[in-house]
Amino acid sequence: MDPVHASILPEVPGEKTKIGTSLVDTAAATIQSFGPTKQIHQHLCAFHFYADDMTRQVEAHHYCGHLNEDMRQCLIYDRPDADARLIGLEYIVTEELFLTLPDTEKPMWHSHEYEVKSGVLFLPGVPGPVERKDLEKVAKTYGKTIHFWQVDRGDELPLGLPQVMMALTRDGQLYPSLAKDVESRYGVSFEKERANRAYMEGPTHGIHPKANAAGIGLKTVLREIECKPSVQSESVPRVFV
Amino acid sequence: MASSDKAPDSMPVGDGSVPPGKPLTMGHQVIDKSAQMLQTLKPIKQMSQHVCTFAVYGHDMSRQIEAHHYITRVNQDFLQSAVYDSNDSSAHLIGVEYIVSDRIFDTLSHEEQKLWHSHDHEVTSGMWVNPGVPEMIQKSELENIAHTYGKFWCTWQVDRGDRLPLGAPALMMSPQVVNMGVIKPELVRVRDNKFKISTEELRKQRANFAVSKPGNARAADYWMHTGKGFAIDIEHVEMKMLEGPKYP
Repeated sequence: MDPVHASILPEVPGEKTKIGTSLVDTAAATIQSFGPTKQIHQHLCAFHFYADDMTRQVEAHHYCGHLNEDMRQCLIYDRPDADARLIGLEYIVTEELFLTLPDTEKPMWHSHEYEVKSGVLFLPGVPGPVERKDLEKVAKTYGKTIHFWQVDRGDELPLGLPQVMMALTRDGQLYPSLAKDVESRYGVSFEKERANRAYMEGPTHGIHPKANAAGIGLKTVLREIECKPSVQSESVPRVFV
Repeated sequence: MASSDKAPDSMPVGDGSVPPGKPLTMGHQVIDKSAQMLQTLKPIKQMSQHVCTFAVYGHDMSRQIEAHHYITRVNQDFLQSAVYDSNDSSAHLIGVEYIVSDRIFDTLSHEEQKLWHSHDHEVTSGMWVNPGVPEMIQKSELENIAHTYGKFWCTWQVDRGDRLPLGAPALMMSPQVVNMGVIKPELVRVRDNKFKISTEELRKQRANFAVSKPGNARAADYWMHTGKGFAIDIEHVEMKMLEGPKYP
């Protein structure tokens, strides 16, 4: 299926927000503090594909904040607009933290070296020199991305299971149409950026062989289980006697 | 390879902090600030509500957590929220929840509905709260939320001691009036002290809310009808490839 841009996909079903409903939003926005989301300082545009299907590629707008020098957490939207759909999240860690992950965990994480060095990952609106100061660090990191809403297959709602996502690792993987679309919308040139970023280096120890789905692929599966603890347990106090 | 209901093989070492790592350097703070001044961050600006509530792990209902939702209302029938484990600036992003009206919920397939949970009890019991917003202003929104269904995936099991987000995403369920859905009083007490509220008072004030008619066809709160929960496994499969490029 040819990839399409998020803006031509079907709208989220539902009525327009009523005035009365939005009053609460306005009140809440002025009274409440938004500690965790105030930490989100950066918009980063990149591409993901499904860990079991490289032919399905998605433009991903990351909104990131630092938890500390070694870790960022990002919300992922399908477009950088007010009506954007929250489609997933990503955690980004330095090589140092990545290496402490158990081997069974590493395949769920992907490397960022290629995306950064090829220019396809960028910070919209930020001038090259400032952007590069951050991206030279990102080039050495690993990310764990989960998407919950498969907008690329036309889902109007977030249906089904969470999907592990992977990132581009070499030339020839990204659909030229997706690349051209992003380049023209943002007035950037991936080729030009690639030249500017030639000096950057990936992880010090090289890309770990277990990262990037260990070069195979990953899929999520649902399993039904007995409720733990037992729903029949009498040791749990009941509200109604 | 990994399962939401199995503990991680090993825990990343460090000094015990969650996550491990060095404090943000001055250099990085400067880069962040420069970028922030130049970028608009529109989707983030749409978050208009902070809600504090509780959630229960679908695969182990003895594990209950305080959850902080930062919510964007997309339209009258749909909301999306980023979920954190506290309302501090150092809060961990632990997952995402989607909320739909009962109208939209009824359009979902039976299989899909099993992954969702109801909100009426969560609202009428006083669990669901907008800290800082007077109850009067909250009322119409609360009545709205009481008629919705949620789907909440947790990607970082901080309460299990995970110092980094490990494993497969876990499906969460909502507080309910019976059995394992009852939130431990101690958790509620801690929350109430922090935000200077009384969940018990809120419960009394909300007693007359009209709740969603319990459609018999609805498969939400699957555990309540069947005693069964869900776990997610992540398995290796051959990736469907494009012709030409290799991977990785």
